[in-house]
Amino acid sequence: MSVQSPAPQKKPWFLALLSALDGIFVYLTAGISTGEFRAMLRGDAPGRPNTRLTPHADAFLLHIKPSYYHESVTRFTHTFRLGLLSTYLFLFETITGIILMIWYAPSPERAYVDMIRLLSNVPFGQLMRDLHRIGAELMVGIVTLHMVRTYLTGSYKPPREFTWLTGVLLLVMTLFLSFSGYLLPWDQLAFWAVTIGTSMAEAVPPAFVGEIINLLARGAPDIGANGLLRFYLLHVLFLPLLLILFFFVHYYKVVLYGISLPAQEEEVGEDTANRVPANRRVYYLPEVLLDEGTFLLAVTAIITAVTVFLFQAPLEHIANPQQTPFHTVAPWYFYWLQGLLKIADKLWAGVIIPGVLLVMLMAIPYLDRNPSRRGADRRVATISGIVAGVLMIILSWMGTPAYAVQGAPALEVVEKLMPEEKVGISRKIGYNHIPFGTYDTREPITTDDAEFAKLLHEFVHLLEVWEEKAPDFNDPWGLLTVTQDQANLKHLRWEITWLSNEGTEEYFKQDYWLHKDSYYWEQYGRKKFGVPEFLEMQNGG
Amino acid sequence: MRSLYVRSFGSKLIWGLVSSFVIVVCVGLTAQTEDTRMEIQTKNWEGRGIENGAVIFANNCATCHGQQGQGLQGIAPALNSRYFFTRRLEDVGQDGVMTLSNYVYLTVAAGRPSKDNSQWVNRMVPWSSQFGGPLRGDQVVDVVAYVMNFEETALQQTASEDPFQPFLDVSKPPEFQNIGISADAEWTPVQLAVTSVLPMGDRDPDYLFGALACSGCHDLNEPQAPSSMGESGPNFGTIHELGTYRPEAAADPAAYIKESIMSPDAFRVADYDDAMPDDFANRMTEEEIDRLVQWLLDPDRVTHARDAEGNIIEE
Repeated sequence: MSVQSPAPQKKPWFLALLSALDGIFVYLTAGISTGEFRAMLRGDAPGRPNTRLTPHADAFLLHIKPSYYHESVTRFTHTFRLGLLSTYLFLFETITGIILMIWYAPSPERAYVDMIRLLSNVPFGQLMRDLHRIGAELMVGIVTLHMVRTYLTGSYKPPREFTWLTGVLLLVMTLFLSFSGYLLPWDQLAFWAVTIGTSMAEAVPPAFVGEIINLLARGAPDIGANGLLRFYLLHVLFLPLLLILFFFVHYYKVVLYGISLPAQEEEVGEDTANRVPANRRVYYLPEVLLDEGTFLLAVTAIITAVTVFLFQAPLEHIANPQQTPFHTVAPWYFYWLQGLLKIADKLWAGVIIPGVLLVMLMAIPYLDRNPSRRGADRRVATISGIVAGVLMIILSWMGTPAYAVQGAPALEVVEKLMPEEKVGISRKIGYNHIPFGTYDTREPITTDDAEFAKLLHEFVHLLEVWEEKAPDFNDPWGLLTVTQDQANLKHLRWEITWLSNEGTEEYFKQDYWLHKDSYYWEQYGRKKFGVPEFLEMQNGG
Repeated sequence: MRSLYVRSFGSKLIWGLVSSFVIVVCVGLTAQTEDTRMEIQTKNWEGRGIENGAVIFANNCATCHGQQGQGLQGIAPALNSRYFFTRRLEDVGQDGVMTLSNYVYLTVAAGRPSKDNSQWVNRMVPWSSQFGGPLRGDQVVDVVAYVMNFEETALQQTASEDPFQPFLDVSKPPEFQNIGISADAEWTPVQLAVTSVLPMGDRDPDYLFGALACSGCHDLNEPQAPSSMGESGPNFGTIHELGTYRPEAAADPAAYIKESIMSPDAFRVADYDDAMPDDFANRMTEEEIDRLVQWLLDPDRVTHARDAEGNIIEE
């Protein structure tokens, strides 16, 4: 019998196909075979050697991520995933921002018109704008919380001093990124908030330096076409690039030193974050990846749901340099600065104090020589941190119009009932609930419309409140006259007459018009799907 | 605290799926209602534009054209007028060339430099900053939206309700039947160009104040205050106390006012641009000017109701 060489085994065609597909899968995942992937899904422990580490060596996007974490730092309550979330929100803002850029031109002639076009003529335009806005507000909040968490766990201590410093710089960049975007809609809110913001730079001594800084930021003595272009370029180009650069420096340091362990898990003065015992390793693939992925999906779902059902980015009247709004406010994250400005002069509140604070914040790791990260050992640091936080909140409250800002009483009354911007009670009850006629606050309220009666009661009530509150506002009475100048347009004239302390009669008048179709989105608090109520209202129901 | 953290693979997958589902539902709901939303937003911003226009109109245009667009005899044509919306474009030879909205836009933006010798006492000045006026481009757009919104009421007017005054600069006399007003409807032509009615030399100051269109820019009732000097010209409500707010006039208010009428540049306040005509010295006799000044300085001055010829209507 001659030795018969075995006939080459021909694989069945489907097995060949499967093996080809497996090859493609390995190619795409940079080293994970389908079998390994199934093992991951089953929750099997990695083999030895661990083939799940290949993507960290081969794939660009993964080479920056550590291949495993210490089990203790993967606990949600250790980091709350705030750093990850900050990074994600930056990506989120970049994507929504690029979409918005398609519909936007940074010039005073176009910007506001583009906003209106975006809202009324672009499918998903309003959703994109709302998402971008809520993402920006959230990013400021999350980055701040990230810093607070790092401070409270003492994670800025050696060897992570420089990580902290770049983190503070990233916070500042986030603030400026958000603030520079504030101007772009070119409405009253934007224009005056940025006017206040840039005017602080003017206080930098000596005077000519402040003037030059202000001039560089605004592009002219006042914000105009040039200022808008500069803020636009800051917002879409310069600050994002700078932020990306510092993000990578920051993240490189995070990976280099590892995320600091919960303080009680290591000796004081020790740093064992990078010495993870084999039995406490949590691999990035697949555990942490899945964890981060589901977490970010859940956050995205919450942001989307809140935006779709509850949140509308405000858009006030077009920027008018000739008309200062009744109350000008900075963005909420600069309220504390505005509060400082009310108790100190511009040089101190606008330059020296924020500057010293910033330097001190960056220098915390170098000033705090206490080697322990344990809560019990750093009572002073914790308490001073909390005190600083409470001070910030108080200053922020002082920055709102609620503190130490009071317009003329008559103006305050009308501003409550029918404000320059936003909704107020009158626009909230809407066109159909404001009947024609003259209504005098000294006469009994006789109207069939319950909502309108509420408005008139509020008018009477506000006059009483201010009579008590303001010393120079005696025996006030008001007149509301509703007439029609045109079809579908009601003319509301608010008149208030009062006696001054000298007994002379004073008079205030404010005219507003309300169109049947004007729909103040904010007025319903919640977006209405299908908006049947609105269409009904339009048909005179 | 440890329990907060979900370790199970399966629950993470479920969380991810639920979140994806929520996102899809939210975006889907939005997609469903985008058409309605865009339609409502379009109307909303049109409505707000008209609201803005109403404010600008009240501050800049209403003194001459009236807030209800009724016009002012001899001073400014009616805008809330059937004639204006149906026939005016044809009469100026622009029918089919431009829309009425563009015609209004051009007029507001650039004014009416060609109408120096028209029936209107004052020519309309340019309002757009592009032509040296006080309004920005978006404000002109809004005020045009307000003017165009008169259409609905104007088209319901009958002949006797239409406050229009026939334009003398049109090539042919208006034919009312063409604009849907029946030919046999009783039509009382409005008296034109009031300046020509009473002869120069003997006219009453209160008549002159209206006929020479002073009232177009100067409000006789509104007081002068630092916060509200007057939109297009100083308010005259407290002009008898002129010296208190214009120190240079304190010595001789009458001479100050007279000089201001005869050469408006004499004491021009910076806020008001070149708005006041400088030909009043030719359009009134010196006695008329003196009487006008005295009348203005009189806190109890009287303005008489007058008919189309300028005669006082006895009540």
